[in-house]
Amino acid sequence: MWNLARKLLLHDKLRFVVAIAGVSVSVMLVLVQVGLYFGFMNTASSIIDASTADLWVGKKGNESFEFATPFDDRAFYRVASVPGVAHAERVLMNFAQFKIADGSDLGVQIVGVETPRAAGPLMAPWNVIAGDLSRIGEPGAIVIDRSEYAKLKIDHVGHTTEVNGVRAEVVAMTTGVRSFTTSPIVFADLKTARSFMPLLGTDAVTYVLVKVAPGADARAVAARINALPHLAAYTTSAMSARTRTYWSSRTGVGAGFFTTAVLGVIVGFVVVGQILYSGTLQYIREYGTLKAMGARNSAVVRVILSQAMISALLGFVIGSGLAMVMRGAMKGANLTVALSPGLYVATAIITAVMCSFAALLSIVKVLRLDPASVFKG
Amino acid sequence: MVAIAVSELGSISPTPKGTPLARLVGIGKTYGTGETAIAALRDATVDVRAGEVILIEGPSGSGKTTLISILGLLLRPTAGEVWLDGKNVAGLGERALPALRARHFGFVFQGFNLFPALTALENVEIALTMKGSKTGRAARAEATRLLELVDLGPRLHHLPADLSGGQKQRVAIARALGGDPPIIVGDEPTAALDTKTALGVMELLRALATDQGRAVVVVTHDPRLERFADRVVRVEDGLISSITSASERHAS
Repeated sequence: MWNLARKLLLHDKLRFVVAIAGVSVSVMLVLVQVGLYFGFMNTASSIIDASTADLWVGKKGNESFEFATPFDDRAFYRVASVPGVAHAERVLMNFAQFKIADGSDLGVQIVGVETPRAAGPLMAPWNVIAGDLSRIGEPGAIVIDRSEYAKLKIDHVGHTTEVNGVRAEVVAMTTGVRSFTTSPIVFADLKTARSFMPLLGTDAVTYVLVKVAPGADARAVAARINALPHLAAYTTSAMSARTRTYWSSRTGVGAGFFTTAVLGVIVGFVVVGQILYSGTLQYIREYGTLKAMGARNSAVVRVILSQAMISALLGFVIGSGLAMVMRGAMKGANLTVALSPGLYVATAIITAVMCSFAALLSIVKVLRLDPASVFKG
Repeated sequence: MVAIAVSELGSISPTPKGTPLARLVGIGKTYGTGETAIAALRDATVDVRAGEVILIEGPSGSGKTTLISILGLLLRPTAGEVWLDGKNVAGLGERALPALRARHFGFVFQGFNLFPALTALENVEIALTMKGSKTGRAARAEATRLLELVDLGPRLHHLPADLSGGQKQRVAIARALGGDPPIIVGDEPTAALDTKTALGVMELLRALATDQGRAVVVVTHDPRLERFADRVVRVEDGLISSITSASERHAS
């Protein structure tokens, strides 16, 4: 059956190439679009996901992770004293102006974290590849990702500049720490971050990160914190999901990517459907002959489905290769295409289903084919 | 003409000549209903016996195709009985018919109906597989045997495009023999062939009847083929106007 299907597909090579191209483009579009979406979403929640906190506490009413309203240290101390909280740390996040070597300014996202301590911080720059992270506690010390060096015209660790007019020195370099908002992320110690943004007050805090005590239930602790005035606590996973959902729904980025992916599936469906149908029409007398000779409908349908599956398999392999090439090309543009094994499996299933549905018209045609028609001229 | 040494075909423990294989009794086929109804065939009775070649002749639209379609269980009659294996199968449902056709009939067509993408061997093999007669290596071996039987051993791996008309029809005949059906039904199998090739194909079909005890029922417009027939059934305006045996034709 496979042999017949393969030979029927290959007999008209141009038609075969068009069918495989259709599936390949479809697979590539699905993988790249959904991969880009997941890449964006991973970036959107990367700071949260990189923390080792059990809970994130912010001001009630915050919608966006990046544009959160700050509060002051009193709230931090209230959180730290809630039963079940083993350890709490402050994070200050806000936007500031970074002075570039040519004299211009660029908006950056300051993430002020508490200086590393013996127990290990709940939030700190990760993937450090150069410099000395232990210096982050020094006044004016900042840590910036390698991917932002060109944009900020930094050429080495040790580069000095100004942030909101305050002297700053790059003491370490990370990799893979990207901002969803396009403003480069600049890590600093909490005190340094506060010095960059004096207008927020000397004790400004945006988030309190909480590590719950051993044996304590994080949700129960979150409920106790939620009972405090003006504060909202989320588990780290809930905070991550909330941030992803915010960016996905508020910006329409999710709908945009998925619409393109669906269009890709539709293109594949139409191309494969048309190719299979024209192939079925071309061999309709031969199919009729087989039916006349006693071949069951199921046997003939298997030939058509086999053609669909061969198209799906080859298209998936080529489309996956194209998606990997695209991923490499987009990396240069600082775009992350997150191609996970799960995405490949899901796309393979979508491709198989798409090609099977595309074969439906052909299947209906042969099911309705009257074997007596082979005697009619 | 491609010479066929009929003895080369050998025997498959042939059914004794004259053994009834199928019988159409009082067959009628009407298309449509009411005032638009058209009777394509009326009260047709034909016996199909082992070892015989039956030619069905008649003008276009006379009902020949309807007759062999009903005989081959491709079309259900609106009246009459179709006896096969001692059973009237005229009223059987669609689901039962493919298996009966696979077991009892092989078909040969004017246009060959070979998959152009498949070699001669593969065309026969796929038919065997899809009929459920044989699969895998057994199907390939049987397809090889059948093609050698019709003198196409050296052409096993040729595509239809690389075969002559006569060779293509031989492939179609080999395919029809797959599953060892006792009745071969041909729809103008020589119409697309030149005279020499056509006579060669008829010799082969004649040999299948004589040496292997199969019944061969062929629709044709070509009176030159009558010399291969044991009986000639003439159909006119939906009625069997005459059935003449070879001896009757010789006498006349």
